[in-house]
Amino acid sequence: MQRSVPLTICLVMGIVMMVQFFSPHPFSRGLLETVNTWVRLISGFALALGAGSLILHHTTKIRRKQPGWGYSIVTLSALAATAAIGWAAGPTMMDNKQLLINVIYSNIQVPLGASMFSILAFYIASASYRAFRARNKEATILLLAAFLVMLGTVPLGKVVWDGFPKWSRYLLEIPNLAAKRGIIFGVALGTIATSLKIILGIERGWLGGGK
Amino acid sequence: MAEKKSLWQALAGIDRRIVYLTLLVVLVVPLILSLGLSVKPMKDVSQRVRQVFEQVDSLQYSGMPLMISVDFDPASKGELQPMLYALLRHAAARNVPVLVLGLWPNGVGLAKTALEDVGREYGRQNGVDWVFLGYKAGIDAVILGMGENIARVFPSDAMGSRLDQHPLMQRVRRLADVGFVVSLSAGTPGYLDWLLYAQSRYRVRMATGTTAVQAADAYPYVGTGQLRGIVAGMKGAAEYEILNQQAGFRQASTPAIDAMDAQSFAQFAIVLLVVIGNVGFFVAGRRRK
Amino acid sequence: MQLSSSLWVWVGAILTFGIFSFLLKDNPFYKFCEHLFVGVSLGYTMTIVTWSTLWPDLFKRLFASPTSEVSIGAKLLLLVPLALGILYFFAFVPKVSWLMRIPMSFVLGWSAGVIIPSIIQTSVLTQAQYTVLKPGWMLQDLPRQMGEAWNHLAHVKGFNSVSDALLSFLWAIGPPTVFIGAVAAVIYFFFSREQKGLLKPVSGTGIIFLMVGFGASFGYTVMARMSLLIDRLQFLLRDWLGVIR
Repeated sequence: MQRSVPLTICLVMGIVMMVQFFSPHPFSRGLLETVNTWVRLISGFALALGAGSLILHHTTKIRRKQPGWGYSIVTLSALAATAAIGWAAGPTMMDNKQLLINVIYSNIQVPLGASMFSILAFYIASASYRAFRARNKEATILLLAAFLVMLGTVPLGKVVWDGFPKWSRYLLEIPNLAAKRGIIFGVALGTIATSLKIILGIERGWLGGGK
Repeated sequence: MAEKKSLWQALAGIDRRIVYLTLLVVLVVPLILSLGLSVKPMKDVSQRVRQVFEQVDSLQYSGMPLMISVDFDPASKGELQPMLYALLRHAAARNVPVLVLGLWPNGVGLAKTALEDVGREYGRQNGVDWVFLGYKAGIDAVILGMGENIARVFPSDAMGSRLDQHPLMQRVRRLADVGFVVSLSAGTPGYLDWLLYAQSRYRVRMATGTTAVQAADAYPYVGTGQLRGIVAGMKGAAEYEILNQQAGFRQASTPAIDAMDAQSFAQFAIVLLVVIGNVGFFVAGRRRK
Repeated sequence: MQLSSSLWVWVGAILTFGIFSFLLKDNPFYKFCEHLFVGVSLGYTMTIVTWSTLWPDLFKRLFASPTSEVSIGAKLLLLVPLALGILYFFAFVPKVSWLMRIPMSFVLGWSAGVIIPSIIQTSVLTQAQYTVLKPGWMLQDLPRQMGEAWNHLAHVKGFNSVSDALLSFLWAIGPPTVFIGAVAAVIYFFFSREQKGLLKPVSGTGIIFLMVGFGASFGYTVMARMSLLIDRLQFLLRDWLGVIR
């Protein structure tokens, strides 16, 4: 039952939603609306699962005094404080920029989030310099294409040579398009195969371990 | 005694901190000097950005609203926030109503700020000129739900007011009533979800503004017309700002245009570093043989 | 230069430097900022999800007064997602953690079912249609395009016009190039058979197209990363230091 019930639900839902796509009947559209509503609400609860896992991980770290447990206190305190402040703000929290939750968002979350990804610029510069070698024909083609796109996309590339943006545009709209289209076909066929396997219960990895 | 490094070996093995410092200098100096070297070369805006601009522009004749899906968070705000502002200013200047929502929970704060800023610049009114739907969990279920009935998905706007109280929503019931959708996309969920569920099922006209990382992947959809144009990265945002300038629209700031000199110099610096690294590597390798 | 007098701008600047300090090496300041980010980010997400989805669409409707527009039937229907959502929490109770599979199976079945027809339409049929049909449409326009390309070639003067002539020829044969490239790229990923005979050169062509595609992606990725750093530098130079307008 622990596996057969979920597999049956998965099978029924999968077939119903596939069939629904082809039916314009009002019952079918009503079913779609209802099921979509349920999925939206269930997705909201799924977040609680993620939060719970994180809280469990960090509390375990603190309890066992594992290396770096002090930082776990930072995470849990920040989580608790932000959530409490946000919940206290109420359903109209987006309306008022001065609310503490919005101040925390604009002045703590935004700078931290933006900075996290901005340091990648340094790493990509260093990694490109260190690792990007034209060792063979394929790597050379990749390198040349990258150079043309990099120099063709920026405005000053046009100042250096008029041809950079033209070649960049050609590369993007013809060979790049062809390659990405091939990848899209492959990914689409793979997605269809995997989805069918999930619906039919052939792919059971999502059930996890246990009985 | 350690072997003395040849010049070529040194070229192939520059300390990473020097690389970081070089990059910093190459970016900071043009930002401070504000040379404006990039403005003239950008006058010839790319066809794909122009396509998006023309689609949004045409909405002034139909009266149909523009829907912007803010599918990014603060990590990608550098590229996509300028696009959001440029789109909102364009819509405001042409009196095109705007519906804004987000599929990423951490992005709606940025969307709200942009709506308020542009609303103040152009004297736009909530409920008439714009409606901020906010965030709703469910990603694809949200898009599919809006295809049937927007008010079922968003019974109230992000500030808690009932959707049916807004004059704009009297004539916008489902996605088919929206003139054009632009997904400002940093990953998943993003433009692909809009393509799969809104464009394929409900024949929604759409385009995307993406981070440059994803831009190359979107071209097959542009080639088929499923996406009516693409605004790619900060350069795309700068081109949209240029188009706004050329059309005479008021713009309080143009952060993307201001960044283009720094962007250009950085790209040249990276190319030079890669060339130096390769030259050093191959010459040193040949000498070792 | 005019330093900001706003406390929050200073907080933003200090946190930015905290993250940037990782460039020198891992350090307690960076770790603090990283953990703070995780906590604040998740806390904010929980808040947004609660007030945007769970409260207005579930709990508010469930506990609405009997005289409201929410019917008894609608309330009963809402018990289904409520029950399924609560089952997620059983993941933390080892003896009955299998109950978590029920809401997962609902959502997974739903998403697998909706994606199949949509992805066939979007990523298979439409893409295949344009790949195959465009070379056909191109045939009507071929004489004009080849004429244009020939004009360029015939009046070549200097490197720029060689480049333009070559480009205009390549654009003219664009649609069949896309057809060949897309088919070759798909064949490259066909690993069920040994790639020999006719498959080998086709697969080799596919690799060339793929390398150009990856090169284009890399070029764009570099631009993307630089843009994010430029945004942070603009904040520091403009909002914090007041060095730029």
